[in-house]
Amino acid sequence: MAPLNDTIAALDRLPALPATSMRLISMLAGGGRDADLRDVECIVGHDEAVTAAVLRRANSAAFGMRGRIAGLGDAIRRLGTRELCRIALETQTSGMLANAGRSYGLRRGALSQSALGGAIAADQLARLHGANREVAFVAALLRDIGKLAIDAVAGPDALERIAAAADTRPFLAYEREAFGADHAALGAMLCERWSLPSEIVGAVRGHHEPPSNPAEPLTDVVHAADCIARWAGLGLGCDGLMYPFDAAARERLGLSRDALEAIVADVLAAIAPDHTAANSPLPLRRTA
Amino acid sequence: MSRTPSIPLRTETPRAGEGDKVVVGVADLQVSRDPSKSIITYALGSCIGVTLYDPVAKVGGMLHFMLPESQVSTEKAAANPAMFGDLGMPILFDKVIAAGAKRERLIVCAAGGAEVLADDGHFRIGSRNRTVLRKILWKLNILLAADDTGGQHSRTMTLRLADGSIALRSQGKDSALWPR
Repeated sequence: MAPLNDTIAALDRLPALPATSMRLISMLAGGGRDADLRDVECIVGHDEAVTAAVLRRANSAAFGMRGRIAGLGDAIRRLGTRELCRIALETQTSGMLANAGRSYGLRRGALSQSALGGAIAADQLARLHGANREVAFVAALLRDIGKLAIDAVAGPDALERIAAAADTRPFLAYEREAFGADHAALGAMLCERWSLPSEIVGAVRGHHEPPSNPAEPLTDVVHAADCIARWAGLGLGCDGLMYPFDAAARERLGLSRDALEAIVADVLAAIAPDHTAANSPLPLRRTA
Repeated sequence: MSRTPSIPLRTETPRAGEGDKVVVGVADLQVSRDPSKSIITYALGSCIGVTLYDPVAKVGGMLHFMLPESQVSTEKAAANPAMFGDLGMPILFDKVIAAGAKRERLIVCAAGGAEVLADDGHFRIGSRNRTVLRKILWKLNILLAADDTGGQHSRTMTLRLADGSIALRSQGKDSALWPR
């Protein structure tokens, strides 16, 4: 078990959020739509992985484009600033999270998929509840970033042993016992170190335990988005479903069962489009 | 003894790096009659994994459904019925029988249906998934041979097509679901 000082020291050893992401988050949090397209193009053009992702998305069926788009400038104009920032952030956080969550027993890519699933849910909820959609998207994308710190200090099988012996308390309580801080608090510390806007820091900190009297719906939205991602089967490690859905937050959001399940279905369809239509009823499709 | 030929179902293609495993994603179903393979699904939380296996034909299938009822999104249900228990279960039966299994020989097992901690009854997706599973099996007049459902933990489920055995892995521990 690691004392708090060791856990916090692990934060220093983690890779920083790419500078381009920090600049894009500032733009989005500041209203996104007013961001200068040339600034965004310049930021995106410096990152090969992001450029490739932008071109892929611009040429995807989702945007219903006719004819291939080869240049970044065209792609950016077609997608718009907001979509562009999102693609850049998805790509860069996905790189950071690809191998994260090992100590929770997560397979490669599971945490980045869960990050994106939560971000899609947060966007839908923010639209319904009048929260800032861009900030909700980013906060949900980064909500589990603190799991990188837990990975750095947890010994092999440590979390699996804790989970196997757990009673009915939320998993965060066990993380605090074992490491002096839970992944939500550690994630908020990381976001603070990266100088991200305070509302993002607060939403990451409260994504499992939202405050009781929030001034803004943002943390409730990110909290619900996290639960929705779990119900969509995303990011489930040895901690499983050992996180409650805060009843007061649910009441504040006025979230019905049907509305929630429709978002769960949307999230999975957006994350795993390759399954769409793969499970059609008979006749069986044969390849040979 | 001749080896049962493999039906080249499109869905049999193993994903990269999975070797002899046929992976079932979330809201997905796979059927195989290749006894050298296992069908596996990872991280069942509130979702339910259902397996069907015919021990004579050595044909098996697995469904990983996410939500109980398709009425919440008819559009998603049309695009991918395996997302929902009420639509996915009949399709799984149809596909396994079309691949050579006999209904009366099928061994049916299930795992998953976990619940979010301290759900006060508002959503209860895991419990409602368990209910729809039993409702459909009841209508089909089929009994569950074995199941491991509920709780708060996630489960990984593997069906071995050579002998129909089903293994579970949860919180770092392995156990056998079938045969008991």
